[in-house]
Amino acid sequence: MEFLTDLGKWFLENWDGSGGYLNRTWEHIEVSGAALITAAVIAVPLGAWFGHTGRGGLAVVSVVNVGRALPSFGIVALALPITIRIANAVPFISSGLGFFPIFIALFALALPPIFTNTYAGVQGVDAEIVEAARGMGVTEGRLLRQIEIPMAAPVILTGIRLSAVAVVATAPLGALVAYGGLGRYIIDGFAIQDDIQIVAGALLVAALAMLTEITFSISERWVVPEPLRRGRGVPRLDRAVSQRVA
Amino acid sequence: MRNSFRIRAVGATLLAFALVASACGDDDGSGDVPADGPTITVGSTNFGEQLILGEIYAQVLESAGYPVERAFNLGARAVVNPALKSGEIDLLVEYTGTLLTFEGGTASTDSEETYNALVEALAASDLVAAAYAPAQDKNGIVVTADFASERGVSTTSGLTAFNGELVFGGPPECPNRDFCLIGLTGVYGIDFAEFKPLDVGGPLTVAALEGGEIDVALLFTSDGVIAAKGFVLLEDDKNLQPAENIVPVLRQELVDAYGQDLIDLLDSVSAEITTAELSELNKRFGLDAEDADVLAEEWLAANGF
Repeated sequence: MEFLTDLGKWFLENWDGSGGYLNRTWEHIEVSGAALITAAVIAVPLGAWFGHTGRGGLAVVSVVNVGRALPSFGIVALALPITIRIANAVPFISSGLGFFPIFIALFALALPPIFTNTYAGVQGVDAEIVEAARGMGVTEGRLLRQIEIPMAAPVILTGIRLSAVAVVATAPLGALVAYGGLGRYIIDGFAIQDDIQIVAGALLVAALAMLTEITFSISERWVVPEPLRRGRGVPRLDRAVSQRVA
Repeated sequence: MRNSFRIRAVGATLLAFALVASACGDDDGSGDVPADGPTITVGSTNFGEQLILGEIYAQVLESAGYPVERAFNLGARAVVNPALKSGEIDLLVEYTGTLLTFEGGTASTDSEETYNALVEALAASDLVAAAYAPAQDKNGIVVTADFASERGVSTTSGLTAFNGELVFGGPPECPNRDFCLIGLTGVYGIDFAEFKPLDVGGPLTVAALEGGEIDVALLFTSDGVIAAKGFVLLEDDKNLQPAENIVPVLRQELVDAYGQDLIDLLDSVSAEITTAELSELNKRFGLDAEDADVLAEEWLAANGF
């Protein structure tokens, strides 16, 4: 009971300033968002292209999946000496500590689910639909943009959602290399044996991860073309047609 | 995060095994022959020197026939101190000044005085401090050689000339510690532009200082890396850091079980540990990546144990 009171007090007292949880949450979102967007910008077009041509896709999926096999903590530790060196050599990168190494680890973590899902989603589009489109003279580029990607959207977005949640849950590692974010409370709390701070930090990370999951689930529903919303991944062109008729 | 938790989980499991082992040992402990007494669980905190020193004492006890368990790399003092008091570990290599301060006493720069106060402070918790070693390991405020020569700084108080400009890096607990950020701000009047939480005088702090990520670092004075990397240890001209002699601290019940023989053995080892030798061991651990148990074995052999 006393613990809960202390925890409540912590949340009332530690919200503002650079060490407050509003700023820490923002830092957390900043590096998670940057890693996720970068991964999506690279993995979606690449995965779609390999899924479309169907050539060499499996080989690339295997290579990209190495990111899943490497533990993020290992990537941070491996990246650090390199990022410090790069920061010294490149004038516009101010620091090789903090953002840079954790960004690399989160990027590597986010890449595989997005790439794999995009690849599988595009490749899984019904061959008959693709053939019909080709028969009507639709160019390859339009086929990919207007038919394959929209039809694969539910699967692609699931990949992005999985990555987002994993990234938010892993970003606390950044605190080990002097990044801010919500991991600070866990690492610093452990160093000074402040249980309240550790629990508060863990709760904030869990809440943010859940919020990420919910936000992406809702936006998935909103982004996916209407005919594909129910019966995920199974194209329901009949309904699309009937709706248009109505 | 996931991985460090896993390491801790493994550590906790080992600790549990050690507990079971020591509990079993208690049952048949007669106290006359070392091997029949309670198991001595040697603990350590989470940096290289602690692993080496823990190994030195663990190995010397083992070769004398005492039943020994190891519970190393447990975390900061805030973790190992309660573990020692509750009997999860039985012996811990400590530092006189910091431990005395942790126990609520006031440490001075005098080794003898600080040790005597520590012995008194520990008695309440049924803990015994064996004789202290000549070796000391204080918090050291360290800069690069280039920084020292360019800015003409050789003392810690010299840093006040650059208030608001410098980035300071040290362990995450530093902002809450008197001999760290609190003292540097309060006693010296240094105002850092930023504090970067790194590791406990480890490779991350060294890499950050070397790579220019931080201007000033907290390392340990006995760290051979300071000399090997050409860093400059700034003089503690306001005597912020108290005497920090190395001292093995153990539970009273071990002394009850094994008597003065145990203390004498520990004292004979402590007497041989000097700061210079410790620096060398730390350098070989930190820079040459040699193993703590091998270093301890070699050191013991070289010193006739």
